[in-house]
Amino acid sequence: MTLPEAAGWPGPPGRWAGAGRVAILVRHNLALFLREPGPLLSRLVQPVFLMLLMRPLYVAALARYGVEAGTSQVVTGMLVLFSLLALSVVGGAIMAERAWRTWDRLRATPARAGELLAGKAIPVFVLLAAQQVVVMSFGAVVFGLHVRSVALVAAAVGCWALALLGLGTLFGATLRSQSELQVAYDIGGVLLSALGGAMVPLTTLPGWAQAIAPVSPAYWAMAALRSALLGQAGPTLRAAAVLLAVAAATGTLAAWRISRGWARSRLL
Amino acid sequence: MLAAEGLVKTYGRLRALDEFTLHVTAGEIAGLVGPNGAGKTTFVEVVTGLIRPDAGSVTVGGIDALKQPRAVRELLGVCPQETALYPSVTVAEHLRLFGGLAGLRRAALRQAAGEIAELMQLTDVLGKPAGLLSGGQRKRTQAATALVAPRPLLLLDEPTVGADPLTRTALLGVITARAAAGAAVVYTTHYLPELAELGATIAVARAGRVAARGSQAELGLDGLFPAEPRDADDAA
Repeated sequence: MTLPEAAGWPGPPGRWAGAGRVAILVRHNLALFLREPGPLLSRLVQPVFLMLLMRPLYVAALARYGVEAGTSQVVTGMLVLFSLLALSVVGGAIMAERAWRTWDRLRATPARAGELLAGKAIPVFVLLAAQQVVVMSFGAVVFGLHVRSVALVAAAVGCWALALLGLGTLFGATLRSQSELQVAYDIGGVLLSALGGAMVPLTTLPGWAQAIAPVSPAYWAMAALRSALLGQAGPTLRAAAVLLAVAAATGTLAAWRISRGWARSRLL
Repeated sequence: MLAAEGLVKTYGRLRALDEFTLHVTAGEIAGLVGPNGAGKTTFVEVVTGLIRPDAGSVTVGGIDALKQPRAVRELLGVCPQETALYPSVTVAEHLRLFGGLAGLRRAALRQAAGEIAELMQLTDVLGKPAGLLSGGQRKRTQAATALVAPRPLLLLDEPTVGADPLTRTALLGVITARAAAGAAVVYTTHYLPELAELGATIAVARAGRVAARGSQAELGLDGLFPAEPRDADDAA
């Protein structure tokens, strides 16, 4: 049986139909974020304020390495800590779609799973990267943080934002409620940040903590950002490659769970 | 237009679909009735591609829905049972979002959104966020998002549950018009009078399969459920 010859039925989709759907979804998701800006704003205001308060402490703690070491530690540390906490914005966006049951509605449209994820991911990536750029710029302008290679810093920020995106999507697609999500972000965000050397310099952590620090993505984010500030291409790219691997692994797992229907609304 | 054959879907020991077979032709409104747990919603979700059956086949307009689910979704208008809207997004934005994802653009999208808003009596609330709508307005908005783009197969899963008479009248009018234009409609419901009003054929689902199929006359239901009393009851 074939489609009846009736006026108004959809013809075959155009060549750029997929790109058009992604653009529609990006616009839609950006609007959703901007209508509830509170969580994102708090993740912007808090690091800036804490940097102002805590810089003297970090500079004193790292005095033997020079003032720049303390400034670099407070800027990259706060950036990593609060970008990890901003994971709640990412996962919360997916969890909200599940709670509103709109995710299944989107899945029932002609949009591919990849288009739905891209429509969700692109605005989030932009917002996460913007958060990091604001924190880094604040450090450069107010504290005189010396950025030796803008290109390397941009690469580190981009790779870290991608890793955050993957982690946040995986949490949002896996956990079963907003409270589970909140616990995971609060505990996970703080623990991973601390273990990665974002709260206190890695060299001051206990030996056992230093030994397991590389299991935390925050460790690699700190390494990438610190090396990028110093203009060291090799270490920056090595750490950025680990972050990309984290992004690929978590993003793939999240997409797989979503495509298998494991992130469906009724499982909430 | 829709041919589902021998669908089986199990969840552990539960057979949600058990050799479920249903054919719906272009222009036909097929009322799918049956108790809760009979497999109605599972069937809709299988056709939509949200879940995969363990066995059986589904074709829509000749396209294999299990092998090409995305191509089939180009042909579907789906209204799920539970209201699913974005609280902070306005009615107009909902219509543009779902119309756009269905492939409508610019002037065609504006025209289609305006028409369905008028038919579903939503014109006055186009600028209102869904979170501020009344229950009936939310139901109409949800249905409008499924109907904004012309589609050859409409899957409407209990679209009038909890709806006020205004919503029911508006929706049944649009569905009748779409079927008259050639769309095949699967309409799940517990309310037989609605099916009388729609002039629908009936499929009775029970324990995951279609236990009886035919016109209302063939099933001996003619005259048992006149259309008007339901609305009158609701209005009262």
